[in-house]
Amino acid sequence: MAAAEWITQLGLADYYRLRTEPAQKPTDPTVGIDNRAAWQRPEISRHVVRELDDGRSEMMLLIEGVRCSACVWLIERSLNSLTGVIDVQVNAASRRARIAWHRSQVTLPQILDALARTGYRASPLDAQALDDARRRESRDALKRLLVAGFGAMQAMMFAAVLYLGALDSNDASTTELFRWLGFLAATPVVLYSARPFFVGAMRMLRARRLGMDVPVSIAIALIYAASLIEAVRGGGDVYFESVSMFVFFLLAGRYLEMRARHRAGDLTDALARLAPTFADRRREDGTLERIGTHELRIGNLVQVKEGGIVPGDGVLIGTHCRVDEALLTGESAPIAKHRGDSLIAGSVLIDGPAEIRIERVGADTALAAIAMLVARAQAERPRLAQLGERAAARFVARVLLLTLLTVVCWSIVDPSRAFTAALAVLVVSCPCAFALAVPAAITRALAVLADRGVLVVKPDAIQSLADATHVVFDKTGTLTDPELAVVEVSPGNGWSRERALQLASSIARESRHPVARAISASASRDDANAAVAMAHDVNSHGGLGLSATIDGREVRLGRADFALGRSGNADASDAVVLADDAGIVATFRLSERLRPDARMTIDALKAQGLTIAIASGDAPAKVADVATRLGVATWRARQLPADKLAWLNELRASGARVIVVGDGVNDAPVLAGADVAVALMSGAELAQTSSDIVLSGERLQSLASARDVARQTLSILQQNQRWTMFYNFAAVPLAALGFVPPWLAALGMSASSLCVILNALRIGKRASRTRRTASTKAVRLVRDTGIA
Amino acid sequence: MNVLLVMIPLSIVLLAGAAIAFFWAVDHDQFEDMDTPGLLPLDDNPPDSDHAVRPR
Repeated sequence: MAAAEWITQLGLADYYRLRTEPAQKPTDPTVGIDNRAAWQRPEISRHVVRELDDGRSEMMLLIEGVRCSACVWLIERSLNSLTGVIDVQVNAASRRARIAWHRSQVTLPQILDALARTGYRASPLDAQALDDARRRESRDALKRLLVAGFGAMQAMMFAAVLYLGALDSNDASTTELFRWLGFLAATPVVLYSARPFFVGAMRMLRARRLGMDVPVSIAIALIYAASLIEAVRGGGDVYFESVSMFVFFLLAGRYLEMRARHRAGDLTDALARLAPTFADRRREDGTLERIGTHELRIGNLVQVKEGGIVPGDGVLIGTHCRVDEALLTGESAPIAKHRGDSLIAGSVLIDGPAEIRIERVGADTALAAIAMLVARAQAERPRLAQLGERAAARFVARVLLLTLLTVVCWSIVDPSRAFTAALAVLVVSCPCAFALAVPAAITRALAVLADRGVLVVKPDAIQSLADATHVVFDKTGTLTDPELAVVEVSPGNGWSRERALQLASSIARESRHPVARAISASASRDDANAAVAMAHDVNSHGGLGLSATIDGREVRLGRADFALGRSGNADASDAVVLADDAGIVATFRLSERLRPDARMTIDALKAQGLTIAIASGDAPAKVADVATRLGVATWRARQLPADKLAWLNELRASGARVIVVGDGVNDAPVLAGADVAVALMSGAELAQTSSDIVLSGERLQSLASARDVARQTLSILQQNQRWTMFYNFAAVPLAALGFVPPWLAALGMSASSLCVILNALRIGKRASRTRRTASTKAVRLVRDTGIA
Repeated sequence: MNVLLVMIPLSIVLLAGAAIAFFWAVDHDQFEDMDTPGLLPLDDNPPDSDHAVRPR
């Protein structure tokens, strides 16, 4: 199980973390975050700022020290007070802020200054800075956790001596000694390990808000101070072991949550770090110069070596190469590229070298668009999380009130027990589990989905995806490949199917027309050594076809009348004919091809109890054909976008909740009318999506597993909420009545938060079959690429 | 019971030693990357100098 675990975790993120070794990054000026002047230079700020068309700029900031909704509120308020800042969104879970502003009214350094004044350190999301912040946080957390663990163990040992009466009870000085030993063990725990709680509580109180750190800090401080007073006076009970244990378990919960959060950020960071630091630019005189990637300009020619990483989006100028576009597909497989094909930044060249003309750089690349999309989803607080935060704040207020009430009541009944009962109420109530229930589940779900090539743009979509009853597919480009395929080859007299196809492909290879590409693709699929004949003098006759000389004969490929020299019949108009002077060599029929995973996806969705339908603008015969092949009963043909929208509204009016799957760009209005809009897209179009969920790399089949994950997320979320409700309703009254000793209270509340976090981490672990394929993928990845 | 006077200070000294050792390990990158070292033996091709892969 442990092996399967690490292999699953070895997804895309780890793969690329291994590939781009941060230590190799040069010490470029972008590292100096505090350097105001540096950010004023456009060539530096372009690294992190994306310029939108209407005079607005957008960037993603990493903010250190954010731990609650109050911090989020503080940052949002302080930045919104700057003139020119349009929109600020802060996510406490991933500590990221997305900021949009008017370029003409406010500058990047001013925004960073404003943030610095609120006491939060912000760094524009540059890979190097992020790495340092995260490293510091995890090291800090580990050390605090260890000190708390050691301290708690020692304090408990010393306390056990006192409790179990191992000592002669008459020996007052030894009892005294063990009390002070307990104090010695608990002091570093309270003063060092528990510091984050105090800092968080102070910050929240200063912002006049209540968060979970407040009752936690009050409890820690009270128990510690009261025990110290008792130890000095030499009477009563001391609770040094309880306070150490309390801190230790709380920190353990925090640590787990931090790990999950870092995992969730992994994908974005891996993406952001994919672009190489250097590029080899070709000078006017043909020699190469090594420059920083951020110095690349549109139109530059760069050379990428075998195994190198493409520095910007561009077009291949060399004849052909193979690349690994795992960043888009999540799957490491070589993809062949020919002259004129576009390459995307961050993809890895498998055969090289390749000469590329750069067309988009920096924040405009598809890579940056994907990273932005993922980050935007993480920075958006879903409805559910907002509700949860508000509930947690109300809950904290009630707990404080109840504590006060307990003190008052016990002071009247039995003043000697007032203190312990009040402590128990403070400690046993668990606002942490309350506040963590939703974000823990959502963060984990987003990370799991992103790992499977499903980018969730709007986190609310997780809920709608799980609740859906209908799926409506667009046909062209969604259920079928956007490219044509040869479905039928009828060879002429004396020709075999293979030879005809070979001959056709040797001509078709030279053209980029969709039909020609389909023919050459089907030839190379049939036979790896297809290209035996050499075509010379290939000429393209616009709209008609191609002509070429092969083995001294003139051969034509194209529309029937063209290929046969106007002597052919006109009724085979949608067929492509290959002919030489002697007559027809072969006739090819082309048609759109179903996506290989279309059938599988639809079967899986049906198995989940969803109703499947197809809406297409295509002719009824073609839609019917696709629908029968896929086993879909409901379909509508010749649908304009307005018709589709009307149909959707009709479905939704009858109570259905609809997932619409489209290609994302052409059917944007239809997608807007859906409960959940799912788009299949890749590359540069990603940035323009209007959908809620993007299946990147155009893999349809991830939709079914995405819905599984969404449903699991919702059920775990409900479990978490029910559990915290149940726990608090059961435990708090008992504590108020004085039945819960402080050590048990500490144990109970910590166990409750741990339950919530561990439960959230179960998301995505149920599908063992998926995991197995993921493991084989990872093993293959290690073998094929040698990690490097 | 006099043995306690030796054992307790000894346990505290040992504890302090362990804490110092752990802090050193954390500060010297021993807990940075828990995945890569386990994978490196599976790597057939030693990484070339241009795209070296080493645990941080």
